[in-house]
Amino acid sequence: MMSGVSDLDRPSVARLRERDPDTLRAIVDQHGRRLYRAARGMGFSIEEAEDLTQEVFVTFVASIDRFEGRAQVGTWLFGILHHKAQERRRGRAREELSDPIDTVFESQFDAEGAWIRPPVAPDERVAAQEAGEAIRDCLDGLPSPQREVFQLREVEGLPAVEVSKILARTVTHIGVLFHRARARLRECLERKGWGRKP
Amino acid sequence: MLVSTGQLADAPMTRRIGARMHLAMCRHCRAFRRQIEALVRAAQAAGLAFEREPASDFEERILSCLR
Repeated sequence: MMSGVSDLDRPSVARLRERDPDTLRAIVDQHGRRLYRAARGMGFSIEEAEDLTQEVFVTFVASIDRFEGRAQVGTWLFGILHHKAQERRRGRAREELSDPIDTVFESQFDAEGAWIRPPVAPDERVAAQEAGEAIRDCLDGLPSPQREVFQLREVEGLPAVEVSKILARTVTHIGVLFHRARARLRECLERKGWGRKP
Repeated sequence: MLVSTGQLADAPMTRRIGARMHLAMCRHCRAFRRQIEALVRAAQAAGLAFEREPASDFEERILSCLR
């Protein structure tokens, strides 16, 4: 897991700036498939995800002189991926400040905060099988910022602080997007009858 | 809400204790947490499947773009 301290020592940063092939190979080996996985998780096709991953590394090498070694290489790379993904999505619907999923979530509680429509704990075996089949559909239904936060937090396992740096948003905003993503996924999976015992 | 926003681990100790006590008493909230955990496992499994998609020369092709 990434923290706020760089994962590269000074000699490694220097070698990186000299475009040392072994150092570059180590970084591509360590982060290439992670970036690809994140791009796919954000909803890009196989071809787009491969292109994006290549573009991220090309941009990384082109901007390597600005990398001072204060941040994690992974954070830097995921930040580039975020910008590239945004460029590709330009023209798509912008994120709304209010989200109908908030109303859906809140409607599950009464004035005292008690559950009106209590969730049903999923049958583990059925849930795993059904959610595995349904999750991609449900992920496709998430707005891009929510999907990106969900992917980085839950699949890449990055802490909220790191995700806030990558996406240039406050930690509170990351929490809101994360909550909305989970609420929307949960609603979507429930609509598909997920986890109910036959 | 702390469970849903993923902020439980980073919350102040008093709120963490309060949330854990509530979870111990409220079976609906425990069910909610189990739903969240199950969907996270499914998303992680989907992520692992994505990771296996690129061909074995994937890294080599990236490196060739950098030369």
